[in-house]
Amino acid sequence: MPESKSATPTRGFSLDLYAVSLAFALALLVRFNLIPPIKW
Amino acid sequence: MATAAVSASRPTSLGTKIVALIPGLLLLAAVGYAGKLIEQSIAVYTKSHHITFPNIEYVLWAIVIGLFIANTTGIPRVFQTGVATYEFWLKAGIVLLGSRFLLGDVLHLGGISLLLVAVALTLSLTFMHLLGRAFRLKPKLTSLLAIGSAICGVSAIIAAKPSIDADDEDASYAIAAILALGAISLFTFPLIGHSLHLSDKAYGLWAGLAVDNTAEATAAGALYSDAAGKVAVLAKTTRNALIGFVVLAYAIYWASRGEAQAVGNKAAFLWRKFPKFVLGFLLISLLATLSFFTKPQLTSLANLSRWAFLLTFAGVGLRTNLRDLGKQGWRPFAVGAIGEVFIALITLGLVYGADRFLHL
Repeated sequence: MPESKSATPTRGFSLDLYAVSLAFALALLVRFNLIPPIKW
Repeated sequence: MATAAVSASRPTSLGTKIVALIPGLLLLAAVGYAGKLIEQSIAVYTKSHHITFPNIEYVLWAIVIGLFIANTTGIPRVFQTGVATYEFWLKAGIVLLGSRFLLGDVLHLGGISLLLVAVALTLSLTFMHLLGRAFRLKPKLTSLLAIGSAICGVSAIIAAKPSIDADDEDASYAIAAILALGAISLFTFPLIGHSLHLSDKAYGLWAGLAVDNTAEATAAGALYSDAAGKVAVLAKTTRNALIGFVVLAYAIYWASRGEAQAVGNKAAFLWRKFPKFVLGFLLISLLATLSFFTKPQLTSLANLSRWAFLLTFAGVGLRTNLRDLGKQGWRPFAVGAIGEVFIALITLGLVYGADRFLHL
């Protein structure tokens, strides 16, 4: 139990943080036209 | 789920970690893209042959292909780490989806969602505890099932487990029940929505309020329509934002009974449990509202979000093992299923009311 107590919030935080960082990095690349328009 | 699987493999360096992700990522992309190709091929074929056929979204194809692979050949070990990243893509996709909302819409629909979530949450938690008592489930298993079905599925159970000192076995039962019910919701919600002729907004709100896991709620919304998917994500994100408060309440309750450790700094606890991607979603929405992006750039961001969701939907199918879900005891599943039907009905009633009185 002590292991999961400390591990869970840290892991959750990292995953969220990485996902937000990637999304913002992509948003900036799009904003400054550093990547071509993304098609679907 | 994703985080556990990623950390379980414990690669030694960053390079090894990235390499270990590649096969699974390629599998997610292949399954998702196959779903997209099938949708397009059917549309082209039916149009050229003048056949009237309902459009079946790539979401469903991707999930079905994933389910087929996971439950026939299984997912070889080499793919598992990469497949487990589907939750990461979901969160990145949600943040990017923020660009499709003006902050005013977020506040309007998010405010309505918050109101409905508060009502649904109170009724659901009360009902789940009464059910758990009636089915003689262990109190902590009931707590986990109540948190999972009322607030936000697997993430909520994972967040609550250490806070209330629940057993691994109880958490596994609760997660399995929530996953099984999420899979059922995926196929039943769009059918019910269509038969009730719900508008995109009303259906999206209902899916976001009633379907447990964020990935399944997003998929259930997207299966109905693009607009419904957008609203479902917003409603589900509002629900996710409350995770910390609910887990804190349970932690305090179990600590007061001497069956969990007391919570020290409550503000720090709330911040730790708060899903940070919600802040990212709001920030992107704010930037879009302030015209930081041009129209073509907003289209690109929306498309990036779609690609991220494509990987997520493939992962939803690939991680659902029907045999594992069948191994759980019938009682947790029964409590979860009855609770889900109750929550679905309550939230449907609330959405009808909101549509009529609050003008969605």
